[in-house]
Amino acid sequence: MIRVALIGNPNVGKTELFNRLTGLRQHVGNWPGVTVEKKTGKCIYKGEEMEIVDLPGTYSLTAHAIDELIARDYIVEEKPDVVVDIVDGTNLERNLYLTLLLLELEANVVVALNQWDMVNERGIEIDVNKLSELLGVPVVPTVATTGEGVEALKEAVLNAAEGREKRRKVVMGYGEDVEALIKKVEAVIVKDTSLSSKYPPRWLAIKLLERDEEVTKRVEDSPFWDEMREVLKR
Amino acid sequence: MSEVLGEEPEVVLAERRYEAISRILETVVRKREAKKLTFTDILDHVFLHRALGIPIFLALLYAVFQFTFSFSAPFSDMIDMFFSWLGGLAEEGVMPANPVLASFLSGGVCAGLGSVLVFIPPIFMLFLALAILEDCGYLARAAFVMDRMMYKLGLHGRSFIPMITGFGCNIPAIMATRSIENEKDRIITILVNPLMSCSARLPVYVLIAGVIFGSSYAAGAAVFSMYLLGIALAVMMALIFRRTLLKGLPAPFVLELPRYMIPSPKSVILHMWERGKWFLIKAGTFIFAVVVVIWTLSTFPWGATSGGEIIENSYIAAFGHLIEPIFRPFGWNWQAAVALFFGFLAKEAVVGTFGALLGAGEEAVDTALASAGWFTPLTGFAYMVFVLIYFPCVATIGIMLKELRPKWVLFAATYTLVLAFIVAFIVIGVGHMMGME
Repeated sequence: MIRVALIGNPNVGKTELFNRLTGLRQHVGNWPGVTVEKKTGKCIYKGEEMEIVDLPGTYSLTAHAIDELIARDYIVEEKPDVVVDIVDGTNLERNLYLTLLLLELEANVVVALNQWDMVNERGIEIDVNKLSELLGVPVVPTVATTGEGVEALKEAVLNAAEGREKRRKVVMGYGEDVEALIKKVEAVIVKDTSLSSKYPPRWLAIKLLERDEEVTKRVEDSPFWDEMREVLKR
Repeated sequence: MSEVLGEEPEVVLAERRYEAISRILETVVRKREAKKLTFTDILDHVFLHRALGIPIFLALLYAVFQFTFSFSAPFSDMIDMFFSWLGGLAEEGVMPANPVLASFLSGGVCAGLGSVLVFIPPIFMLFLALAILEDCGYLARAAFVMDRMMYKLGLHGRSFIPMITGFGCNIPAIMATRSIENEKDRIITILVNPLMSCSARLPVYVLIAGVIFGSSYAAGAAVFSMYLLGIALAVMMALIFRRTLLKGLPAPFVLELPRYMIPSPKSVILHMWERGKWFLIKAGTFIFAVVVVIWTLSTFPWGATSGGEIIENSYIAAFGHLIEPIFRPFGWNWQAAVALFFGFLAKEAVVGTFGALLGAGEEAVDTALASAGWFTPLTGFAYMVFVLIYFPCVATIGIMLKELRPKWVLFAATYTLVLAFIVAFIVIGVGHMMGME
C-alpha cells in the first residue's frame, strides 16, 4: 500500500482534493482551518491501493502551533511514501514557502498546482515545467472543484511512490553566512548515526539554528549534544 | 550566532526562503495584464468597511435569525401535530391493556422526545443559512471585521474564527483553536467559547421566546438578542481574562480571506446535513435517554401520581422542590429548575424536560407551556439568558478536557455558572426597575 499525505496552506482546496481522491465527503469550507485533525481515506489507482491522509492546513512547519506540529510530526515520524503539496496557483509566493520546508524535510514531494482555472482567469502565466525543474519535483496543475487534473495527479503520485518520477535533490541555499553555520552543525549531527538515519541532518541543523523547541528536545539525548551546543553557541 | 547574522536566526532564515521564492517566481511566472479590480475586491470594500463592517455583520445575523424563526414555524407545527396525534393514538390504543406503557409512549416518547424533534426545522434552517454565508465566503469576513475590533481591545485576532464556528457547535469550535499559536490566546479563546450560543440552545430560545412573545417579530428579536449577548459576554470575559489571569499581548496574526463564490446547492445541503445530523443523533440517543429518566422520575411512584397525572407527588417534584429555592429569586418554578438541571447534560434537554413534565399528549409543548403560565416575559427572558450562559454541556466539557488542563476546565464550568446567576439577576433587576413582573 502506498501512503500519501496531503498538505498545503489553509483554504487552498485541500479537503476538496482529498474528497476527489478518496470519494469521501469530508466537510469542505470556504474558510481557513476546517481540517484540524488528520483524516484518512483510500484510493485505488491502477490496482494500487493508496492510503490518503489529509493533514491540517498550515503556512509553515514550526513548533509554535499544534496544527503545524501535527502536520510536521506526521511527515517526520510516519514518513509517508509521497507528500502531495497542494499549492494555490494564484498565490505562489506565499504557498511555496511550505514547499521549500517540505523539500528541506527531504519528503517525496509532488506539487499539485491547484486553482489552475483561477490562474488562467486572472491572466497569470506559470511555466509548469520550469517550476518543476527548479523545485526538482513533479508539478501537476489541478482544479479540485471540477476534478480536472486529478487523474494526472494520481499518476504522478503512483510514479513518485515507485521512484519512477524524475527527481533531483534541490538544495535551497541560504546564503554563504548561514550555509557556513549549517555546515558546522551538520558536521556534528552526522557523527550521531542513529539520529542522522532518522532525520535529514541538514533539516536538523536548520531547525537547531532556528532554536526549534521540539527538535531541540529530540536531539538533547544525543551523545554529541554538548558538542552541538558548543557549535550553536558560537 | 545571532551576532553573526545580526538578527534572530528564525527571522533571517525565513527571509532567505522568501528571497529564494522570489528568484524562482522571476523565471516561472509571467502576468499577462495588470491586476484588475476583481469582484472580491469590490465586495470587500463594502463588507470590510471600517464603519459599516460590524453593522452589516449584525444585520445579516439578524436576518438569519428572523429567517430561521419565521420559515421554520409551519414545519415545526407539522411535526408537533404528528407527535400529538401519535401520543393520542398511544394513549387510546395501549391505555386499557398497559397503562404504564401508554404513559411512557405518550408522556415520555411523544411529548418528551417530540418536543425536541419539533426543533429540527429551525436548527436545519440555521445551519442552512450559516452554510450559505460560509460557502459564499462571507463568514471569514465577519471574523475579520470582528477581529479588527477585538485586536484593538488586546485580544487575539484569530479567536473569532473558532467563535463563529461556535454558533453551530462549541465542540468543533474548540478544536479549531489549535491553529492559535500562543497558548494564552488559545486558553482564553477556549474559555469564552461556550458563551457563543450554539445550536443546541436554539430550541430553548425558540420555545421560551414563542411562549412569552408569541410568534411575532419580538420573538425573533429576542432570539437574536441571545446571540448578541453571547458575543458581548465572550468579548467582555476574554478582556477580563486577558487583564487578570492570562496577561500578555496578543500574538500578531494574518488572516487570509477566501474569495467570494456562489455556493453550490449540493455543498450547502451537504453542509447543513453534516451538522444537522448530529442533532438527530443526539436526539435519538442522549436526549432520548434523558427524557426516559425524566418520565420515570415524574411518573413514579405510580400509585401516588396515578400515571403522572398528579405530578406533585412524583420523585422529580421532590427533587425539584429541593433545588427550587436557588432559583426562586428569578421567579422560576421547580419545573424550570429541574429543566436547568437536566440541561447540564445537553441544552436541548431543557426543552425535553418541559415536554415530559407537561406531558400533554394532545397539546403542543409551547401552547401547554404558555397556558401553564410559568413564565412572564421578564422571567422567561431571564431564563433564556441563564440557559445561554450557565455551564457548557457535558460534551463540551469533554473536549475541553482534551485541550486544556483540568484546572482550566473546572474554572470554565465555575465561571459560566457564576456569570449566569449575575447576568440573570441583572436582567430581573433592570426589569423590575422598568416596572415589569
